[in-house]
Amino acid sequence: MLPTRQLEVAAAPAVLYSYCSRPHALPARPKYRAPPDAAEPEKEPLRYANLMYDRRVVRGNTYSLQVKPVITQPNPLEIQRQREARERALARKRAKEQMQPRTPEPVEGREHIHVQTELYLEEISDRTVEVDTECQTDAFLDRPPTPLFIPAKTGKDVATQIEEGELFDFDVEVKPILEVLIGKTVEQALLEVMEEEELAQLWAHQRAYAELRNAELAEVQRLEEQDRRYREEKERRKRQHMQMLQKQKETTEKIAARAFAQRYLADLIPSVFNNLRDSGFFYDPIERDIETEFLPWLMTEVEETLEKKVLGRTVLDSLIRTVVEKRLDAFSHKPLSDETEAPAEELRPADAAHQADSETDAADQLVAEKEGSDQPVADEHPSRHVSFQLEESDQAGTGDLETE
Amino acid sequence: MAHAHISGNFPPDIDPTKAPLAFGRRQQALMTLCDLVHDPENVYQVIEVGFLDNLKTLLLHHDSTVRQKTTQILYVMAMHNVGRQGLIQNGVISAITDLLDDPVDICRKNIHQIFEIMAKLPEGAVGILHAGLIPLLVFKLKTESDEIQELILDTLSNCLHVEASEALATSAITILKEKLTHSSAAIRSKAAWVLSEISTHPEGKSVVCEETIPVLVSLLEDTDPEVQASATGALMFATVKPAGKRALGAEAIPPLLKLVAEETSKARLSAIKTLTMLAELPEGRKTLLDHTDTFQQCLNDPCEAVKRAAKIAISVIKWKPF
Repeated sequence: MLPTRQLEVAAAPAVLYSYCSRPHALPARPKYRAPPDAAEPEKEPLRYANLMYDRRVVRGNTYSLQVKPVITQPNPLEIQRQREARERALARKRAKEQMQPRTPEPVEGREHIHVQTELYLEEISDRTVEVDTECQTDAFLDRPPTPLFIPAKTGKDVATQIEEGELFDFDVEVKPILEVLIGKTVEQALLEVMEEEELAQLWAHQRAYAELRNAELAEVQRLEEQDRRYREEKERRKRQHMQMLQKQKETTEKIAARAFAQRYLADLIPSVFNNLRDSGFFYDPIERDIETEFLPWLMTEVEETLEKKVLGRTVLDSLIRTVVEKRLDAFSHKPLSDETEAPAEELRPADAAHQADSETDAADQLVAEKEGSDQPVADEHPSRHVSFQLEESDQAGTGDLETE
Repeated sequence: MAHAHISGNFPPDIDPTKAPLAFGRRQQALMTLCDLVHDPENVYQVIEVGFLDNLKTLLLHHDSTVRQKTTQILYVMAMHNVGRQGLIQNGVISAITDLLDDPVDICRKNIHQIFEIMAKLPEGAVGILHAGLIPLLVFKLKTESDEIQELILDTLSNCLHVEASEALATSAITILKEKLTHSSAAIRSKAAWVLSEISTHPEGKSVVCEETIPVLVSLLEDTDPEVQASATGALMFATVKPAGKRALGAEAIPPLLKLVAEETSKARLSAIKTLTMLAELPEGRKTLLDHTDTFQQCLNDPCEAVKRAAKIAISVIKWKPF
């Protein structure tokens, strides 16, 4: 049984114990209050008091002294119990008073008076003699200044004197402090000034660079401008040149055309005149007159005459024909008349052939006679042909008649 | 609270009771921060911790001293590269813009100083351009005091360096023209510098040609070398176009030649370049052919760029069309 319980007890404290207030050594309560002129408490080393002389520690045996623990928050049960206890005590007291033997009441007509029987009379009054006496604890003492610790004199007396300025030379002492102060200030100032200088240098550098850049930019723009001008100029000149070439080409073509035309038309006039002359535009007016008027008139007259002749001949022919037909009819009754007509018919084609040959010979002769004018000759030819044909036919006809 | 936040950053040997108690704890902390921020490491720390947001809120504080100190802190931070980057990334530029109308002079001056330094960085200039601050700044030119005007002009010149077209939209050139005749030499030179930045842009060139060439030519004879240098720079860009060349005329050549002849003038490079531009025109060439010995002297200048420019000038002057 026991060992298991012990084990349980041993196993119980697995949960970490936590203090409400950690155990610490209590510092001693200061005997004197803090001096009033200090702004904040100086940090003195903490004095730990001896536990044995601490008034807060309970002395004596602890088993008999049953001091009730201070209950800050009494539970209602306790309060009620206390109230009851108080009431009971009161009741008891009242009861006790009742029970107390008192002096009997005074008889009729008598009065009890309190009398003092001591040796020395005391004046008793309602008002108790009151004497106001004030008492207070001693005011908190300021901590008395620590007394000078003058140890007992031991040893020999030796005196030494420190002259003015030996221990502490203001100038020497103040130098490092001053150096630091001024050094820091000057350093900060230098920093700022250097910053500004650095910046000023940077800006000056930048400005110089900006100037160079501007100069270069201007150069670039100038060259661009120049280039543009040159290009435009070139374009203009090219265009001009092209125009010039164009004009030149036109001019050469014109010249060539003119030359060609000139040459082509060089013998225009002679040929024109030749043609005109050939076509008879330059005519001798008298000749023309003869040709245009006289000869046509002549020709018409001749034609008329010939027509008349022809007419006569045709009439004659028809007469002859009718005569011959009649004769034929007359002779047809005889069979011999057939044979004579056949040779007559044959004779006629043979005569026609002869006539054709003789006509051509005659035409050649005519051409050889006439020179120059073709047309009138040509006109005359067919009429001559006709006339010759007729003449020949006439001759043939007459020949026929003559033969017959 | 800001104070609690800052005290975490303090190095342990700084006594926070340095400033007199009358300033109040917050201002006291700001003062100390202002001193500390001169050290770049602290700047880095401030940005790492993300303290810039707190500073931004402090910018809108009703107390002018607080605002002043905050702007001063931002200005000192902007002087370091780390600070600048941090300011750009945290969008402090837009936050500061509201303070441009602050009644206290010092606040405004600090703000303009911040802008000026930010503009020197390309990303900063881009940030300022994006925030659309150029018209506002140009407007402020009319109303602010001289010191602040100088700062605004510097900011403008650096921003326009990046992108010059913004200034053309406003009527900046008219205002700058007035400034060219200001009594202060610094303002004159800076205004001329801004004009030269504007005239790097082709449209800007034509506007500058129309309006400001006579004034710039008169500035060539100014007593202050800075003014001369800036005016020459402006003329250099304005004469790139033929219109500008003709507008400049012949009377500008003698002062430019004087500037070239001086050995130590800052305007030497720009003057040589301007004369090169003028020599593109036949009349200019004729006049300058007599003065080629001035350019020959320039060939002995220690600066490489000047030597090159002088060589180019001589070749342009001696150029013949055939």
